[in-house]
Amino acid sequence: MSILVSARNLVKKFGSLTAVDGISFEIREAECFGFLGPNGAGKTTTVRMIHCVSPVTGGTLIVNGLPAHINNRALKKMTGVIPQEIALDNDLTVYENLIVFAHFFDIPKREAKKRIAELLKFVELEAKRNSKIDALSTGMKRRLLVARALLNNPKLIVADEPTTGLDPQARHLIWQRLRQLKSQGVTLILTTQYMEEAQQLCDRIVIMHQGQIFKEGVPSKLVEEEIGREVVEVRVPKEEDEKIIQQLSSFSCGHERVGDTLYFYCRDGQGLMRRMIELDLHNYLTRPATLEDVFLKLTGRGLIE
Amino acid sequence: MNLSYRIYYVFLRNLVSYKRFVVPTFLVSLIEPLFYLITFGIGMGAYMGQFGGKPYLYFLVPGVLVSSVMMSSTFECLYGTFVKMIHEKLYDSLIATPVSAEDAVAGDIAWAVFRGLVSGSLMMLVAILMGILPGSLLSSLLLLLLMIFVGILFASLAMIVTSVSPSFDFFNYYTELIITPMLFFSGVFFPLDRFPAWMKTLSNFMPLTHAVKISRAVFSGEYESGLILNFLVILVLEMIAFYIGIKMMKRRLIK
Ligand SMILES: Nc1ncnc2c1ncn2[C@@H]1O[C@H](COP(=O)(O)OP(=O)(O)OP(=O)(O)O)[C@@H](O)[C@H]1O
Ligand SMILES: [Mg+2]
Repeated sequence: MSILVSARNLVKKFGSLTAVDGISFEIREAECFGFLGPNGAGKTTTVRMIHCVSPVTGGTLIVNGLPAHINNRALKKMTGVIPQEIALDNDLTVYENLIVFAHFFDIPKREAKKRIAELLKFVELEAKRNSKIDALSTGMKRRLLVARALLNNPKLIVADEPTTGLDPQARHLIWQRLRQLKSQGVTLILTTQYMEEAQQLCDRIVIMHQGQIFKEGVPSKLVEEEIGREVVEVRVPKEEDEKIIQQLSSFSCGHERVGDTLYFYCRDGQGLMRRMIELDLHNYLTRPATLEDVFLKLTGRGLIE
Repeated sequence: MNLSYRIYYVFLRNLVSYKRFVVPTFLVSLIEPLFYLITFGIGMGAYMGQFGGKPYLYFLVPGVLVSSVMMSSTFECLYGTFVKMIHEKLYDSLIATPVSAEDAVAGDIAWAVFRGLVSGSLMMLVAILMGILPGSLLSSLLLLLLMIFVGILFASLAMIVTSVSPSFDFFNYYTELIITPMLFFSGVFFPLDRFPAWMKTLSNFMPLTHAVKISRAVFSGEYESGLILNFLVILVLEMIAFYIGIKMMKRRLIK
């Protein structure tokens, strides 16, 4: 599979602040590549360099065979961007927003009209065709951003936290649409703070923190490698930690105390559970390990092994 | 300078959004000139007597024509552009498409020039309806052309201000300290020859002075060779302002 984006020691500085601190990664054609990380990790900064709206400070960044550069019109022409902030044209209606954007991509009027009709259907906004932007809910605005990003039949879609602030229905609709596009061979670059979103959509992810990449991999494998299969949460006072850890030491689980909870990260949660029942511990909960656990482990605090 | 035909698309975007504001802005564009013509022209004109053998209104109208172009194009590139840049993040969306930052800014300047042209022509229409006629048909056409040059100049100057403006309040410095004084010291309402020498010198540094001189000559059809210099001042200034305005806006837009 060919490489669409390739970054080597990529650096971005805003004055004295280093937002992206020497990261390297490769994004293949037709995959979904995710950037995960807490607020301020540098996700938006990274993807903005990829779609050529923000200049690179250092290192190399090759996109579709050319160095990323602000004047790379050819790349912008084949890219659809769903920005993190809702940046719609508030002076215009839904339809006008799309037709004006179609101009920017040199799409002929007739084709644009046809495409807009299809896209409004695709994101289920036909009924709002002539509404002003103010009259849309946040979810509708986000869906309109998706439609707008698809006007030019992009080969590459950059989606920066596309489902922030949405209810489950709207979120699932957007996920479905993005998966649909991926199945048509579109390359998808996603940033997100929702671990579920990354697991739902991404083939490969990197976890970013303070401008650096901490881990790279396939979501499910990352979870297994870093955490195990299951997480057992026990809510007991801190004083009892030592006793419980002692009692459960035979299971060789990693453990960590965060606030009021003692976490065990295990390959085999079942055995641990049985032991807990024997020990007559209450207040516990067992659940499958998720990317969120990996995320918290890597970006939050060190795990005591 | 990465400019392309896409300037037109940005202009078009503004035209689409303008549809909703046509009536109020036309009304403003009509009421403002009427206000000037009535208060200054008819009110003061009564005391002013004849100017070069013609009523005061013939003196006033050409000046007010170009100053209304100055006002509209300035305000469009101050407030209009600032809202699009900060509050609506329109520029951010634009530069993610094949439209470059330069196209986007130039498109907004083109739009401001159009707005200036609309104000100026409405003003001319009002004057004509009041019986204050330009020397000839050619004069009216040349006046429209002049409005375009004046519009580019003041739109570009306003772009420079917008590019460094932290907030709306900042615009007051520009409008109160530069634009408004310019209105009074450029010979729009009264001739400059009765001013002290230092004031005359000062007024030569005001671009509007040159525009007013040309406008007055074109309106009456009485040309003199010195006008070429006035025109060159405007032309050179606006080329510089256009270039700097776009460069500075680009620096602000691309981070
Ligand atoms: N235009 C800018 N000027 C100065 N600093 C900036 C700018 N944009 C981003 N930063 C800084 O760069 C760092 C990374 O920001 P970025 O927006 O890339 O984070 P993020 O991972 O997208 O976070 P979030 O999840 O909150 O969107 C932050 O410290 C931020 O303050
Ligand atoms: Mg972000």
